Amino acid sequence: MAVQTAPATTTGTRRMKIHVTVNGEAHDVEVETRILLVHFLRENLGMTGTHIGCDTTNCGACTVLLNGRPVKSCTVFAVQADGMTVATVEGLEKDGKLDPIQEGFHEEHGLQCGFCTPGMMITAAALLAANPDPSELQIRQAISGNLCRCTGYVNIVKSVQYAARKTRETAGGKA
Amino acid sequence: MRFEGTLDIAAPRDRVWSFLTDPKQVTTCAPDVQSLDVTDPRHFKVVVRAGVGPIKGTFSMNVEFTDLRDPNHASVVARGQAPGSAVEMRSEMDLEAQDATRTMMKWSSDVTVSGMIQQVGARLMQGAADKITQQVFSCIKAKLEAPVTA
Amino acid sequence: MAVEIGGIGHSVKRKEDARFIRGRGNYVDDVKLPGMLYLDIARSPYAHARIKSIDTSKALAIPGVLAVITGKDLVPLKLEWMPTLMSDRQMVLPTDTVLYQAQEVAAVVATERYIAADGVAAIEVDYEPLPVVVDPIKALQPGATLVREDREQKDNHIWHWEVGDKAGTDKAFKDAEVVVKQDIYIPRIHVSSIETCGMVASFDKVNGKLTVWMTTQAPHAIRTVIALVAGHLGLSEERIRVISPDIGGGFGGKVPVYPGYVLAIGASVLTGHPVKWIEDRSENIQADSFARDYHITAELAAKKDGTMQALRVKTVADHGAFDAAANPSKYPAGLFHIITGSYPFAKSFVEVDGAYTNKPPGGIAYRCSFRVTEAAFTIERLVDVLALEIKKDPAELRMQNFIPPTAFPYTSSLGWEYDSGDYGRALKLAMDKIGYADLRKEQAAKRAKGELMGIGISSFTEIVGAGPSKHFDILGIKMFDSCEIRVHPTGKAMVRLGVKSQGQGHETTFAQIVAEELGLPVGDIAVEEGDTDTAPYGLGTYASRSTPVAGGATAIAARKIREKAKLIAAHLLEASPDDIEWKDYKFQVKGVPAKSKTMQEIAFAAYTNHPQGMEAGLEAVDYYDPPNLTFPFGSYICVVDIDRGTGEVKVRRFVAVDDCGVIINPMIVEGQIHGGLTMGLAPALYEQITYDDDGNIQGGNFMDYLLPTAMETPSWETGKTTTPSPHHPIGAKGVGESATVGAPAAIANAVVDALAHLGVRHIDIPITPWKVQKILKEKGVAE
Repeated sequence: MAVQTAPATTTGTRRMKIHVTVNGEAHDVEVETRILLVHFLRENLGMTGTHIGCDTTNCGACTVLLNGRPVKSCTVFAVQADGMTVATVEGLEKDGKLDPIQEGFHEEHGLQCGFCTPGMMITAAALLAANPDPSELQIRQAISGNLCRCTGYVNIVKSVQYAARKTRETAGGKA
Repeated sequence: MRFEGTLDIAAPRDRVWSFLTDPKQVTTCAPDVQSLDVTDPRHFKVVVRAGVGPIKGTFSMNVEFTDLRDPNHASVVARGQAPGSAVEMRSEMDLEAQDATRTMMKWSSDVTVSGMIQQVGARLMQGAADKITQQVFSCIKAKLEAPVTA
Repeated sequence: MAVEIGGIGHSVKRKEDARFIRGRGNYVDDVKLPGMLYLDIARSPYAHARIKSIDTSKALAIPGVLAVITGKDLVPLKLEWMPTLMSDRQMVLPTDTVLYQAQEVAAVVATERYIAADGVAAIEVDYEPLPVVVDPIKALQPGATLVREDREQKDNHIWHWEVGDKAGTDKAFKDAEVVVKQDIYIPRIHVSSIETCGMVASFDKVNGKLTVWMTTQAPHAIRTVIALVAGHLGLSEERIRVISPDIGGGFGGKVPVYPGYVLAIGASVLTGHPVKWIEDRSENIQADSFARDYHITAELAAKKDGTMQALRVKTVADHGAFDAAANPSKYPAGLFHIITGSYPFAKSFVEVDGAYTNKPPGGIAYRCSFRVTEAAFTIERLVDVLALEIKKDPAELRMQNFIPPTAFPYTSSLGWEYDSGDYGRALKLAMDKIGYADLRKEQAAKRAKGELMGIGISSFTEIVGAGPSKHFDILGIKMFDSCEIRVHPTGKAMVRLGVKSQGQGHETTFAQIVAEELGLPVGDIAVEEGDTDTAPYGLGTYASRSTPVAGGATAIAARKIREKAKLIAAHLLEASPDDIEWKDYKFQVKGVPAKSKTMQEIAFAAYTNHPQGMEAGLEAVDYYDPPNLTFPFGSYICVVDIDRGTGEVKVRRFVAVDDCGVIINPMIVEGQIHGGLTMGLAPALYEQITYDDDGNIQGGNFMDYLLPTAMETPSWETGKTTTPSPHHPIGAKGVGESATVGAPAAIANAVVDALAHLGVRHIDIPITPWKVQKILKEKGVAE
C-alpha cells in the first residue's frame, strides 16, 4: 500500500481574508471559507480552550461569545466572524486575575473533567451580563444548551450563583 | 418501505414496454440525473441526486433488470450509495393492454434505506419517498402520452 | 494543623481546577505536533453486507490525501483482526464482510482534517447487503442469520455462564408460598462523555519509539496490548509510551481498544509522521462500546409475610457483533451476580447467555461497575413487584429483609463476601430526610382526587474495587494497582499512580491520602498519572476501583515511608525507635512532645543526615493486591408526579443516602453522586439506542439521543452514612458509580408506584411520555 507525497499547497478550496478580534486581540488571517469558527480558534489561533463535543450543534461545549452573544462556534463559519469580536474562555482571566465565574466554578466544585466547562462559563458570562441576579430556574434555562455528563448541574448552578453574588458585591463596592 | 400502485397510461403497451426497459429513456424520469452509463441491455449505472429533509446525497446506483418478459413483466433491482448512506430498491412492473392505445401498469417497489439518510431523515422518509415516487410516475406518464415526434 | 494538612475528610478545593477554568487543559485533540497528519474513517451504512470492492482512486486523487488503508492492506501486517478483552476477536478493518452499521471500513490519511473527511466521502464501496439479525433472542434460535462466519462454532451463541445452586433454588421455588416473576429489558444506551475518543500516534523511525496520546482509562494495559498485538511490526514495550493526558470523561467508554486507535498507530508507523484521529460524536455513539442490552427474566420466592428466600435469574446478553466488553476475564457477565443485593437469599441461581447480533460490540461502558447497574435495577424492581403482590409497603418490606449489620462479613449464596454494611440505617435516614410517612399520606389524598404521584425506593448494595488476584485479571494481567511516592529534601512529595482520573479529582484526593499519612500539607504534594514512562504499572480507573485499590497502595506506600522516617526520627532525636510515636502529624518521643520532628525535617535529613548504613532518600512504591472487593451501598427515594395529559414524568424530589465507607473529600464525593444520579436519571427516562430490522441505528447522534440538560435534572439532595470497609487500609470503598447503579430503580419504582393502583406492575426503562400515555389511555385515566 503506497503512501503518496503531499503537494506543496492544497488547491481547489476557496479562501477569504478575515479580520477577527479575539479576546481583544486583532487577527488578520486568510482562511478556507468552509472552516468552522471552532476550528479556526483551536487550530489557526492555537486557542484550544474551546472544545468540540458533538456534530449536531446540541452539546454547547464550543460556546463562545460573538459580538457578545453566546453562539455555538461549531455551527458558525470563521468567515461569518469577519469584522466581529469573539470572546473565549482564555479571555476570562484579566491581567492574571480570575473572573468571578472562574472563581465560582473552583469554589463550588462546578467542574470535574473540565470538558464542558469553557462553554458553560461563557454561557454564564452572557447570562450574568444580561441578568446580574438570576434565579435558579433562569440559570438552568440559560445553561440548558450546555450538556454536562460529570456534575449533574447542581454545583454548576451554585458556581453561577457565586459569580453573580461576587460580581454584585464588587460592583456595589465600587464608588 | 413498500410502495405500490397502478398507472393508467394513454399509450400502446409496446411503447410503454420499450420506454420502461430502455435505460436511456426511463432514466429521463429519475430525480436529478447526473450521469448515465449503460453496460448492456440489462445493466446500467446512473448517478442521481436525491434526499430527505436536510440530507441530500449524490447516489451512484447500479441497476439490473433481473427479469424481462416482453411485453408484460419486468423486475429490476437498483442498489446504490452516497457517502454514509445506501439505498436498495427492488421493483416489479406488470403491463396490461387495456386496448390498442391504453395500458394499465401495476407496479410495486420494496425500498430499503440505510445509513445517515435513514437516521437523520427517518421521520421524513415516507413523505419524501412518496413525493419522489409521484414525480417519477407523473413524468413517465407524461412522456409516454406526449405525441410522438417523427 | 489538620486543616492545613488537608488530609482525609476535608473538602479540599481541587488542585486540577487551575488549568481547566483557564481553558488550559491538555486533552488529546489539543495535542499538536510538527508534521502531524489526520486520519478519518469511512464506515458501513449497512448492518450486514459483503464487500465486493472498494474503490479508493477518487480519494487518492484529492490533493492532500496521502494514503487510504483498507482491510486487505492490513492482512500482510496481520493487523486486520485484533483480540478483544473477552478473548474474542474484533475486526480492525473488514476484508470480506461488515457486521454492523457504522463499522470501520477504510481509513484515509491526509494533511488536514477537512481533507481527510473529503477523502472519506470519496471512497466508493460496492456492498452486497446480507440478511440482518438485531434481536438477540431471535439470533439464538436455530436457523437465525449467522453473524460470525469466522468462528468455528456456527451459531450466534457466545457463551453460557452460571453461578449458584440450581437444584436447591428450583426446590426453594417449588416449595415457596409466594413467587413473583418479572421480565425486564434494560435497553442499550451509550455513555457519550462530552469528549469523544481519539489518539495522536507518533512513531519515531530513528529511535523505534512509539508515543501515543490516547483517550484511555488504562494506559499501562494499552501499552502491553500494543506490544503483544503489534510486536511483530517492531514495536517493543520499553519503546512504547502511552500518555493519557486530560480526559473529558471516561465512564468506561474509554477502556476498549477501538479500530481507530490501531489505524492511527499503523498510519504513523507507515508514514513516519504523527497521525491524529478524533472521532465525531455520531461515530462515537454509533460504533463505540455501548452498555446494557440485557433481556432478563427474574423470579423471587418468598414467604407470605414477605421474607425473601430464593432468587432465580435468566438473562440473554446482546453483545453486538464481537464480544468486546471489558470484563475481568473470569466473568463474562461481569459482577452481575451481586444481584442478591441487600437481601439474604438462602438459595439463588443466575445464568446468562451471550448472543451475537449485527450491532456494534461492547457491553459495559456506562458507569456500571461491570453489570452491577443491571443487577441492582433487577433486584430493586423485583422487590417492589413482591411488595405489590403481598400488599406491603416497599420500605417496610426492605427493612424486614435487609442483611443485618451483625452479619458482616456476609457471604451471599452467589459467593461474594460483603465487607460491611448497615442497610437499615441508610434507608431510615433517607426516609427521614424525605419525610416518607407524610409523602404516603399526600399520595393517598392525591390518589383520591385522581392525581398520579409515586414514591420509589432503591436500597442497593454494589460491588467495586476489582480485584483480588485470586479471581481477577484482564487478559491475564492481575488487577492490582500501584502508587509510588518520593519525598524531596525540601519536604515536598511527588506521587505517581497506576490509575487515571477522567474527572474524579485524583490530583486532590490522592494527595489527601498522602497528606494524612505523612503529615505534609496537601498543597505540597503533586500527583501524576497517565504517562506509562513514569507511572508505576496499574490497571487504570473504571468500575470505581481507584480508591479501593490504588488508594490502598497509596496508604501502604506512605506507611512504608513512615516506617523509614521513624528510624530517621529516632536518629535525629537520639532515641530508640521503640520510643518514637507518630502523633499530631509529627514523630515525637513518647511522653515528651517537645522532642519532635516534622516530616519535612526528616525528609531533609534523609538526604543530608541519615543514619550510617541506611540508604539515602525517602521513597516507596506499593503494588496493592486487594484482599477483597468493597461493597458500597445506599438508599435512594424518589418522588414523581405524572402529567395525565402528556404522560411526562416529573421528578419532584430525589434523596440519595450513600455509604462509601471513609470519605476522603466530601465535596468531591458529593459531586460524584450528583453526576452519577444524573446518569441514572438519563436511562430511566430519556436514553435509548434501538435498531430497526435492517440494523439502522435510531438515535445515533445528539438530536435523537437525549442527554439530560440542567432543565430535566432535579436538584439532587444527598446524605451519607459511614460504614468503613474493615479490610481497606483507610476504610474507604469506591463511590464513582453507586449513584448510576442505584438511581434508575428508584425512579422506575416511583413511576410504577404512581400507577400501581391501576394495575400496573412494571414498565421497562426508559419510561418515556408516550409509554406512560399509552398506559393512561388503556386505564382510562388520560386527560
